[in-house]
Parts: sequence; C-alpha cells; structure tokens
Amino acid sequence: MRHAFLAVWLAIVSAVAALAQTATATMAVTLNSVARVSFSTLTVAFPDANPDAVPQVAAVPASIDISAKARAPRNAQVTLTLQSEDDLRSGITVLPASLITWTATGAGFVGGTVSPAAAQLVGSWTGSGVRSGTQSFRFENRWTHPSGTYTLTLVYTLSAP
Amino acid sequence: MKKATWGAGVVAAGVALLASPASAQTVLTTAPLNVSVTVGNQARITLTGSVDFADADPDVFPTLTATPLDVQARARVAPATTVNLTVMGGASHFDPATNTIPVANLTWTSTGTGFTANGTMSDAAQQSVGSWTGPGAHSGTQTYSLVNSWAYAPGSHGMTLTYTLSTP
Repeated sequence: MRHAFLAVWLAIVSAVAALAQTATATMAVTLNSVARVSFSTLTVAFPDANPDAVPQVAAVPASIDISAKARAPRNAQVTLTLQSEDDLRSGITVLPASLITWTATGAGFVGGTVSPAAAQLVGSWTGSGVRSGTQSFRFENRWTHPSGTYTLTLVYTLSAP
Repeated sequence: MKKATWGAGVVAAGVALLASPASAQTVLTTAPLNVSVTVGNQARITLTGSVDFADADPDVFPTLTATPLDVQARARVAPATTVNLTVMGGASHFDPATNTIPVANLTWTSTGTGFTANGTMSDAAQQSVGSWTGPGAHSGTQTYSLVNSWAYAPGSHGMTLTYTLSTP
C-alpha cells in the first residue's frame, strides 16, 4: 500500500513538473525589399506629322499603364523616376530628349519632361503598396527637326530609403 | 506559453524590418521603355499678300512697285540637304491676247536670310527665290517691280506665279 501510494505521488509530481516546463522557439521572418515596375507596353512611338497641323505629337499608344509595386519600410517614401539614357538620336543627328514631355494620371503620379541629365519624378508614395497610373507622352514637333527616325530608352527607377 | 513566445518573435522581426535607417534612396528596381520618333520630310510655302500694280503714267512712274510679299518657306529635311525655293511665270506675257507685257518685265528684290537678292521672272525656267541647307523655317519678303511702258495694251492683266520648294 505504501509503495502504491508512493508510486502515485511520484506520478503526480512528474505531471506537475511537466506542466511547469517552458519552451522557447525563435522565428526569423525575412522580408526583403521587393519592387517591380511594369508597363502595358515596352515601346512607345511618335509618328510623323506636319508641324503646323500637329505641333505636339501624341505617342502611340496614347497612354501607357504603369504599375509600381514596392515593399518598403513603413512611412518611407517610395519614388519612381525616369531618365533617358541619351538624347534622341538618328545616326549622328541629335534632338534634345527634352522635346518629349508627359502628363500623368493616378494618385501620386506627376507630369514632367524627359532629361538625360537627371532623373525626373514620375510618382512618389509613402510605404509599401501597389500604385497604378498612366503616362501620356508628347513630342514637340518643329520644322527645324532634321528628318529621320530617332530613338532613345527611358529607364524607370523605383527606389526607397 | 509557447504561443506567447512565438508572438513576441514575430513582433521582433517586424521591428527589425521597420528599423532600417532613413538614409538616401536605394534603388529597388529598374525597367526600360523604348521610345522612337519618326520625323519625316515636310514642306510648306506660305505667301502673304498679293502683287498688284496700279495704273500709272509711264513718264512719271517708269517702274511700278508692288507692296512687298511675305514669303515663308518651311522644310523639314535631312541635315545638309539643300532646299531650293523657285518661282516661275505661268505665261510669256501678262496680256496673252496682245502680247505687249512680257513676263521678263517683272523683276523683284528680296530680303531675308538665304533669299536671292533679286531676280527676273521667266516662263521658261524656274528662277531662284532662295536656297538653304537643312531643315528650317525661312521668312523673307519679295518686292516685285514691273517696267511701265507706253507700249502696253490697256486693260487689266494677270498671271499666276508658281512657287516651288524642292530638294535636289
């Protein structure tokens, strides 16, 4: 009987000891800054036009959809800029990239003028999120432009602190 | 107890993410967009005014002078391309029925960069009004004069002058 009692007591003590144990676990959550800029098209073109009739040539397509996705620190300012790699070039003939301007729609998106010298603001927002807007490009058409087919590449940059 | 510990771990990770220093902007991603512009050849001549010679006594006014004609020649061409503006009379005489006023009696002087200083009208060959190199918009004036002669047949006579803007 005493043995039996002892055995029961030990079992209870063991159970209590088990309930009093603590355990720790460490979880590491790695949230890298992730960003993505995408467009509805990767090419815009300005067709030929009479400078008198069309002093400002609209691009084709008339507007492009832009999606800027960024995961950034809270309250951090996320900015989307564009900068042309060069002026407009057709062989050795050069036209200023600043002949191209744009208007924008969408919260946080702004209009501007293309420049190869400095990044131009396309939009700015606070914190993480997906921002959608449009850009409509125009080309200043002049009689003094030498004829030719000119190209340039715009580089969009999404950045955050 | 385990739940509490795990919850604290999540919060700690979140705080670590948000604690990034607010320093200069870091590029997260870039994307290119290709742009092309087609600038084609275009040309336009704009003449403002008219060339009218009022009747006058040949002895008093041996030469009739019209109001200056504004001439604008606009051409969009490749660099180094020569652009020529010419004019040609539509007939050998202003009065085809009587042939007393030859087209060569019409002369002009010009002002404006690239404009030919003076010229004589012809119905046989294009006469140079101006010449330029490369694209541009060029403005000048032409002042026409007509020899006034007693030999002219009375009447109101006219002629069409055709201006041509061209490249070689």
